Amino acid sequence: MSYLNSLRLNFFGKFQAAVSTVNNDPAHFNNATFKPSYQKMEDGKHANGWWNPRGDANWRMIGCNITSAWLSDGQPAAGSDPVLTYLIADSDWSVAAKLVDLDPEQQGVSEIWGMEIRIADSSGNTLMRAKYKTAGFMDIFMRWPSGSGDGSAGAMYQSVLTDIQWGQIDNSPFLQQLQQASSAGLLSIKFNVDAFDANYQSPTFTLGRIAGTIGPATAAEPHHFVIGRHFMTTSLPQPGFFLPAGNVNFCEAVVDEKACKLYLDLGNSLPTTTMGGPFTDLSVLSVACATVDANNQTQILVPLGDVDYLASGWYEKTAGVVALPADRKLTAAELTTIAANQLLIQLTAPNAPPKPAIWESPGGLYIRPDRFVFRLNPGESAEIRLFGSQYGQPYPGARVISFLDASGIGGNLPVGVPEDVLEFPRTVVLNEFGQAKVQVSAGNPRNPRGYIDGQVYGIRCVLEDTLPPALQYPFNPSEFVSLLVWDEFVADPPVWYGCLQPVFQQYANLYPLMSRFVDLSSYESVSDPNNVIPLTITFGLDPHDPNSMPVTRDLSGGKRKAILQWLANPGPNGKPLLGTPPVSPPAALETAEANLAPAMVDRQSLGKVAFYKRVASARSTRRKL
Amino acid sequence: MILLSKQLLDDLERPGGVQRALQKAIELEHATLPAYLYSLYSLGDSNVEIAGLMLSVIMEEMLHFAIACNTLNAIGGSPDIDKPDFIPIYPGHLPGGVDESLCVHLRRFSKEHVHKTFMSIEEPEDPLHFPLLAVADTNHVTIGEYYTRIEKRIADLGEGIFTGDPGRQVVGGFPPDEIFPITGVASATKGIELIKQQGEGTTTSPLDPEKQLAHYYRFAEIWHGNQLVRVKDAPPGTPDDQKLNYDGPPIPFDEAKVLPIVDDPKSSKYPPTSQAHYLNDNFNYAYTSLLKALHRTFNGHPSELDSAIAVMHSMRELAMEMMTVPFANGENAGPSFEYQPVNK
Repeated sequence: MSYLNSLRLNFFGKFQAAVSTVNNDPAHFNNATFKPSYQKMEDGKHANGWWNPRGDANWRMIGCNITSAWLSDGQPAAGSDPVLTYLIADSDWSVAAKLVDLDPEQQGVSEIWGMEIRIADSSGNTLMRAKYKTAGFMDIFMRWPSGSGDGSAGAMYQSVLTDIQWGQIDNSPFLQQLQQASSAGLLSIKFNVDAFDANYQSPTFTLGRIAGTIGPATAAEPHHFVIGRHFMTTSLPQPGFFLPAGNVNFCEAVVDEKACKLYLDLGNSLPTTTMGGPFTDLSVLSVACATVDANNQTQILVPLGDVDYLASGWYEKTAGVVALPADRKLTAAELTTIAANQLLIQLTAPNAPPKPAIWESPGGLYIRPDRFVFRLNPGESAEIRLFGSQYGQPYPGARVISFLDASGIGGNLPVGVPEDVLEFPRTVVLNEFGQAKVQVSAGNPRNPRGYIDGQVYGIRCVLEDTLPPALQYPFNPSEFVSLLVWDEFVADPPVWYGCLQPVFQQYANLYPLMSRFVDLSSYESVSDPNNVIPLTITFGLDPHDPNSMPVTRDLSGGKRKAILQWLANPGPNGKPLLGTPPVSPPAALETAEANLAPAMVDRQSLGKVAFYKRVASARSTRRKL
Repeated sequence: MILLSKQLLDDLERPGGVQRALQKAIELEHATLPAYLYSLYSLGDSNVEIAGLMLSVIMEEMLHFAIACNTLNAIGGSPDIDKPDFIPIYPGHLPGGVDESLCVHLRRFSKEHVHKTFMSIEEPEDPLHFPLLAVADTNHVTIGEYYTRIEKRIADLGEGIFTGDPGRQVVGGFPPDEIFPITGVASATKGIELIKQQGEGTTTSPLDPEKQLAHYYRFAEIWHGNQLVRVKDAPPGTPDDQKLNYDGPPIPFDEAKVLPIVDDPKSSKYPPTSQAHYLNDNFNYAYTSLLKALHRTFNGHPSELDSAIAVMHSMRELAMEMMTVPFANGENAGPSFEYQPVNK
């Protein structure tokens, strides 16, 4: 069970992602070549620190009203249910959550850390409070095809809520049902984001649109995707964001055999005519199941219903989640057919036959890792949990092939190398529940990127049955596991010069906002007794705490340990150890600085779109599968 | 100075009076903070010496807030911080203030504002260098006298009233000789004395026990533009008010660097789709989250103090974002310090 079921609420509003952008350009990580101009706003001629150099990485939920609620029996909650007057809010007693990229060479899995999600009324009373499990976005695509820049993209986040506390919910039959359904201590939450405003001169700068769903979750299901029916497509060739060939992006559906309904989520799939504006009229959108007539081997399409996506307020009210058929239950015969045949979404223009826009995955086969972002120190390991299915049912006994795949990362410095750093089994077999775990052990990358710590890797896990070229399985370019493996760092004892100074200098360069609290490039400032205690506290926090430093969560275990040890063990003068100043400037360590700034600064080209363009252009030189 | 209604003293004698008085004190200690912070924020990163003096006063008000909360908890009460009317309306009077009392505005930094408002708020009963106030004012009391009376009432009631759960005491954020568990008459007295001396100094010295200037005199230094120093070679027997003078090193002030933020901003005045409105919402939501975090900290979750402090720091960033956004008439937007429990 997940959000994609009968019992659910939908919400709609704005989000804020005040990301800091100096670190968008990998070359800015090089202390030796850093320029003060990299901390300035772009000026139309020079990229400088791009469009938000003083960003604080805060992620906020703003004005997210609950727009609809549906009970377990599929009926809408009563109009008098107070849940319809509530909001989805974030924490009302801590700092904002943080939006964090894994690495400058992997900006495609930005994760939300330290977020609390509440259901609150307009007076601030909390009806439900929970922790949002850290998750990265998925299925990014060109949501506004005629746009450019980050505002043209859409993506989705799916995760679970844990540590749930309920308030006074006696007045809301819906919330009482939701509470009963969360007996495993989990709720499922999924939201779609688009229309991000990266224009610093706009009143809605750093704001975007968000629409989402909250429903029940069970302990056995993956946290970050739905076991169900997955529609998959390929991209039209273009640099930048994924552009679905049939106009409809990846989406998912669940067949509820008890309720006799198909729940389909189109929330991150349909293009808009303007940024955050009305959906493009793709004509009549319908869902069908493709089966074969036993007698004459012709294709029969069993219609399952239309989706009224052009209706006014549809997205605000549903977040793209629909129950089909709208006006009846699926028959037993339909359920039998659906259980063993491919689904498809069709578009039917006036006076024209229906055309497929997007098909369910070939053979109904699907596998995905649950958590797909990991940070590892040398000697640590990650557990990739895989769930494989066929037509939404567990696919036991299937072989899964895992391999290094850097085609979705990088674009500047070499990534995914050295390859011997990660050890993992090439083959695993799905158990009777269609699940398997791939254990990945990390060694020491030995600083292959010089001025950027460690190395970033991709691992792709595919069902062996999807490999034959004849199947033409449309692998999702963003469906792989990203791992950042840090370099080993040992300092005994840690000192400022030549040891921690370069670490702090890099943070001072990349995050000018920090200078308001402490000048990380200055020993005097860092060792000031007024700063030592807050630094000790914040660098010692669990990364799930929204106050944890560094905000970017890219500090290796070795360096963190060294910093805390350095702060805690002052020298005879009561201050952290200085060490010996270098005799001559340190040698330039590494590869030549790649000039990533676009020659003519087109504002729209600065952003995540730049990362995807770099990846696309580098892909042609990568070793293919 | 701020004058409080004498009725507050009468109430002190009634059942529950000390608890109500301490709740009033908590509200008073907080009430000046939006005004002080608003002016401090308007300095941005400039005028660092003045900013440092203001910040030191603000920090001590927070300490006084914590001491008052600890004292209320110690006698079995519960600080009520998370409520809309915890925040005074600006412009307006401080809690308990009478109509003749000072009207406090949210204004950008200016020496005039320091003199007219901040020094008035902190003015002691018997400030040195200024004429004695008229004595025959029997309807009003100063904040200092209010604390004195609370202190006395606690001493009269004795150890028996300290029924609170010691686990609710909050320490941290300040040195242990400033913030300490309140467990009985002695520690309660010590705490209240510290509040009085840090705020007003004593009748003979502008210094508090740590040899730092009381708040009034720190503001006076800003106003005069010079540090307060001992007169050299003052002969013995010199009256107290002639032993000191504002003749010390100058305190620089660059007026041009003060951000031109509006007076007494209101959320309702920012157009709904304007950048100022969104930023102000973020600020007010953070400020309200601070009140909620403090409420939690001082109502049985002392370990939440660090998290509350972090929210407080985040407010400054949000204010800074706002204060370069033009609003109207050549002035920029400023945070309105309003109770906003949801971020709409």
